Amino acid sequence: MDNGLLIRPDRPLDLEAVPERRPRHWPFSPWHFFLIPLALMMLLPLIWSVITSLETSSEAQRFPPVLIPSALHFSNYLDAWNSLPFGHFFLNSFLYSAATVAGNLLFCSLAAYAFARLRFIGSNLLFVLLLVTLMVPFQVVLIPTFLIVRNLGLVDSVGGLIVPNLCGVFGIFLLRQFFQSLPVELEEAARIDGASRLGVFFKIVLPLSAPVLATLAIIQFMWSWNDFLWPLIIITTPQHAPLQLGLSMFQGTHVTNWNLLMAGTVMSQIPMLAVFLFAQRWFIQSIAYTGIKQ
Amino acid sequence: MSLAPDSRVRRALGSDHLAGWMFVAPAVVLIGIFGLVPIAWSAIMSFQANDLVSAPSWVGLANYQALAKDPAFIASVRHTLVYTALFVPLSVAGSLLVAWALNRKLRGVRFYRLAVFVPVITSTVATGIIFLWLLDPVFGLVNYLLSLVGLPEQGFLQDTNQALLCIVVMTVWGWLGFDVIIYLAALQGIPQELMEAAQIDGAGKWSSFRNVVLPFLRPATLFLVVWSTISALQLFDEIYVTTRGGPLGATTVIVYYLYQQAFQFFNAGYGAAIAYVLFMAILVITIIQLKVGGRGVYGKS
Amino acid sequence: MRRVSIGTVGLLALVLAALVLAAGCGSSGGGATATPGASPTGVVNITMWHGDLDYAAKADNKLVAQWNKANPNIHVTALYNGSNDYALQKTLTAIAGGKPPDITYLFGSWMANIAKSPKVVMLNDLIAKDPSFDWNDFWPAERLAATVNGKVVGLPALVDNLAIVYNKKLFDKAGVSYPTAQWTWDDFRAAAKKLTIPAQKQFGWAYPADASEDTVWHWEAMLWDYNGDILTPDNKQAAFNAAPGVQALGMLGDMATVDHSVYIDTTNTKIQQTFNNGHIGMLVTGPWDLPAFPNVQFGVQFMPANHQTISGPDNWVILNNGADRVNASWAFLKWFTAAKQQMYYDLQTGALPTRQSQQKLQPDFQTYLTKYPGTDLFVKNMGNAVKARPTIPQYSKISTFLGQAIVSVLLGKSDAKTALDQAAQQTNAALAVPGQ
Repeated sequence: MDNGLLIRPDRPLDLEAVPERRPRHWPFSPWHFFLIPLALMMLLPLIWSVITSLETSSEAQRFPPVLIPSALHFSNYLDAWNSLPFGHFFLNSFLYSAATVAGNLLFCSLAAYAFARLRFIGSNLLFVLLLVTLMVPFQVVLIPTFLIVRNLGLVDSVGGLIVPNLCGVFGIFLLRQFFQSLPVELEEAARIDGASRLGVFFKIVLPLSAPVLATLAIIQFMWSWNDFLWPLIIITTPQHAPLQLGLSMFQGTHVTNWNLLMAGTVMSQIPMLAVFLFAQRWFIQSIAYTGIKQ
Repeated sequence: MSLAPDSRVRRALGSDHLAGWMFVAPAVVLIGIFGLVPIAWSAIMSFQANDLVSAPSWVGLANYQALAKDPAFIASVRHTLVYTALFVPLSVAGSLLVAWALNRKLRGVRFYRLAVFVPVITSTVATGIIFLWLLDPVFGLVNYLLSLVGLPEQGFLQDTNQALLCIVVMTVWGWLGFDVIIYLAALQGIPQELMEAAQIDGAGKWSSFRNVVLPFLRPATLFLVVWSTISALQLFDEIYVTTRGGPLGATTVIVYYLYQQAFQFFNAGYGAAIAYVLFMAILVITIIQLKVGGRGVYGKS
Repeated sequence: MRRVSIGTVGLLALVLAALVLAAGCGSSGGGATATPGASPTGVVNITMWHGDLDYAAKADNKLVAQWNKANPNIHVTALYNGSNDYALQKTLTAIAGGKPPDITYLFGSWMANIAKSPKVVMLNDLIAKDPSFDWNDFWPAERLAATVNGKVVGLPALVDNLAIVYNKKLFDKAGVSYPTAQWTWDDFRAAAKKLTIPAQKQFGWAYPADASEDTVWHWEAMLWDYNGDILTPDNKQAAFNAAPGVQALGMLGDMATVDHSVYIDTTNTKIQQTFNNGHIGMLVTGPWDLPAFPNVQFGVQFMPANHQTISGPDNWVILNNGADRVNASWAFLKWFTAAKQQMYYDLQTGALPTRQSQQKLQPDFQTYLTKYPGTDLFVKNMGNAVKARPTIPQYSKISTFLGQAIVSVLLGKSDAKTALDQAAQQTNAALAVPGQ
C-alpha cells in the first residue's frame, strides 16, 4: 500500500540498521576520516564549555588557553546558581513544559479525532482555517497575543507563558493523520456495543495511539523547554523567567565571568541532555516520524 | 486528501454535529483566541500607529510605504536573505552527506550518530553563549587554534563582515543533526534491491547515488528545504543572544528588526506591518519551492 | 459501557470559552488597572526594580530588610531586573504590559523620556511638603539631572563620574610612570601604546563598543576635554561634529585602529573581568566598578587635558499604582535616600556620596575613604563635572546616532569626520521635529 510515506508508522527508525556491503579492502572504513573530525566539531563546543566552567576566572582568560584546569572548580556551579534564581528558572520551565504538553495531548487529540472520524457541519471550513493558522509565522501573532495576554492580566507570569500554547495546530494535524490510519472496525464494534463517542475515544483510540502521543509530548516538551522569544516578550522579572530566558538574563550582567557563565549554561542544558540520553529512541523516532509525515 | 471520513465510517458512527463541535471546542476556542484573532488583529494593526499604551490611530498604508523606503528594514531583508541562502544549502547538503556516511555498518556508528544529534538538544540560547565564548576575538579557542596554524586573529562576531557568517556556522552546527535524522530515516526506506540492481548494471558509486538514491530522497529533501527556509527566514534567538543585531547592524535580520521596532521603540503598528511582509515572503517562497520541488514526487515519473 | 457525558465535556468547553472571552473583553483598552496595594491586613506591598548584583545587591537587600522589620505596614520587595542598560526598555514594557513596579532605577539621561509617561509621579509636591527631606543636600549635578522642565522626575540614587583607573603593576612592569594630573591626551595615548603587549593579550585601554549610551558617555567626557560641546546652547543643532569633536573621536579611532592599544568589547560585558585579570592597563570608569577589581592594585587619576569629566546621576522613579502604593514608595525612598542609609550603601559598594552632608558623617566617611582608595579623587572629581548631557527627550535618539558613529570609527569602518557629520545630520533632523 503506497500512501506516500517513506516509513510506516509501525516500523520505527532503526538506529542499528545498516545496509549490507561488499567486503572492504581496508581493515577499517575510510569514512572514519570524515566522521571523526565531524564528531569532534559537533562535540567540541560543549566539551570546551564544560572545561571553562571548571576554571577560575583568570584561568579562563589566560593566553594560551588553559586546556586542563588546575582544579575542578565545581564551586562555579554553586556561584552561578546563587547569583540568579536558577531554582525558579528550572521550576518555571518545568511548569510551562508540563502544562503545554498536557494541554496539547488532551485538546489536540480531541480535535484530531473529530476531524478524523466525526462528520459535522462546518468541519471543512474549520479545517481550512486551522491550516491557515499553521502557515502564519509566530511573529505575525506576537504583538496581538501580547496584548491579549495583558488584558487577561497574565503578563510576567507562568500562566502567560502557558495559556497561548495550550493547543497547537501542529498536534491536531499530526494526530489526525494517525487516527485516520487506524482500522475503523474496532471503533465501529464499540459503538455498536453502545459506547459513547467519548468512550470510544478514551478507551479504544487513545490507547492505540501511544506512540504518536509520545511523539507529540516529546516535541512539545522540547519546544516549550527551549522557547525563548515568547518568554522574552511576556516575562519581565527573573522570578518568573523560564530557563532559556533566565540564562540570557544571566548573560546580560556586566560583572559576568566566562567561567560562571559557562557553568550556568552547562547547568541549564543538563536536564534536556539527561532526558535525551535516557529516551534517545523516542526522540529520534519522533523527529523521523514528523519529518516524513509532511 | 479527503476531509470527510469515508462513507462506511460515516454510516457506522452516524452524523455527529453536536459531538463533533464538542470535541473541537477547546481547540477552537484556544486557537481562535490565540491564533485567528491575532492574525486578523495584526493585519488591522499594520494600518495603525500603536505604541502599546495609548489608543491607536489609523495611518492607512503609511507603515508599508515607510517600510519600502526604510534603509534599516531593507538592510535587514538583505541580511536575512543572505543568511538563508547560506544556511539552507549548507545544512541540507551537509546533512545528506553526513547521513550517507552514517548509514552503514561501522564501528562506533552509534556514537557518531549521537555526537551529531547532541547539538540539536542544546537550546538556541546556550548555543549562542557557547559560540560567543569560542569565537571571542581575544581569548576564544578558535582564534587560538587559528594562531597555531599561522592564521591571523579574526574578529568573528565583532567584525561586520564576518558576524553573519559566524551565525550561519553556529546555526548549521545546531540544526544539522535534525536534518540528518530525517535523511537517515529516508535512506533506510530505500529498498535494497534497487541499490543492488544499479550496481549489477555496472553503475559506479556516484551514478548509482545520483540516479537511484537522490530521486528516492526527493520528498525528504523537499521537506528539509522548505522547513529550513522557513526557519532561516525567522531567525531571532541566536542574534539576540550573540550580537543584538550588531556590530553596527550587520546581523539585524527581519525578526530582530521587528522586535526592536515593536518592543524597544514601541512602534507596534510598524512591527505588525513588518510581520505581514515576512508572512507574505514566507508564503511566496514556500509556494515556489513546493511547485518546483513537488513535481514528480507524488506522481511517479 | 458507561454513557459518558458528552454533555460534561461540552459544558466544560463552553465554560472555559466563556471565561476566557469574558476575561478578554472585560478589561480591554490596554493599560494597567491600578490594583490597590493594601491587602486585607492593611500591609502595603511595593516592588523596587534595580540592576545591582553581588555586593551592591547585598547592600540593597540589607537596607530593605531593615526597613521591612521596622515598618511592618509597608513591605518592600527589591528585585534584580537585569542590567541597568535595559532598564528603560524594561520599565516601558512593564507599563505597556500592565504590571509596572512601584519604584524603578533609571539612568539620568532617560529622565526626559520617562517623564512623558503618565505613570510617573512628579515629586515636587511631596518634596515641598517635607522640609526634612532637604532636596538641596543633593549635589547640583544630581538635581539638574532629575529635573525636566521644572518637574522633579526622580530621586538621586547614584552619582558618579569618570576618571582614569589604572593597574599599577602593569605600569611598573612596562616601565611607564603613573598618570599625572598634567597628562595630555597624547601622553595617554603613548602610555596605552607602551602597555599593549599582543603576545600576552594585554591592552593599554578598553572601550565599551556596543553603541549604547555607555559607548557615548565615555566619549562625551573626551569631547569636553577637547573643549567641545554636544549641542549648541539652544539645543537646536549638533555641535559635536565641530573641530574638537573630530579631534576627540580621531584620537579614539587612532588608538583603536592604528595603535591597536584598545580592547574593544562590542558586547560590553567583558571589560571588568578582563581588567581584573590583569589584561588591561587603564580604564576610564567610575567608582561603582572599583569593588569589582579585587585582584588589581589600582590608582585613580583625573581625565587628561583639562580634566573635564561627565557625571551620570541615576534616579529612583516612582510609578503610579494607586495612592496607597505611591505614598508607601515615597515614605520608603525618603528613608532609603537619607544620608545614614546612603553612607551604609557607599561603605559596601564604593559608590560616591549622593548627599553632601555625608561628608560630615564621621567616622564613617573617613572609614569609607580609607576602604576605597581613589574614592577621594572621585569625590574631588565631582568639581570637574561642569557640563551635563542635554535633558531633552531627543537625547536617546542622539545617543543612538552618536553610538553608531563611535563604533563605526572604532571598528575602522569610517573616519571621525564622516561619522560625526552623519550623526550630526541625523541629530539635526531629529531636533527639527516639532512638539517633542
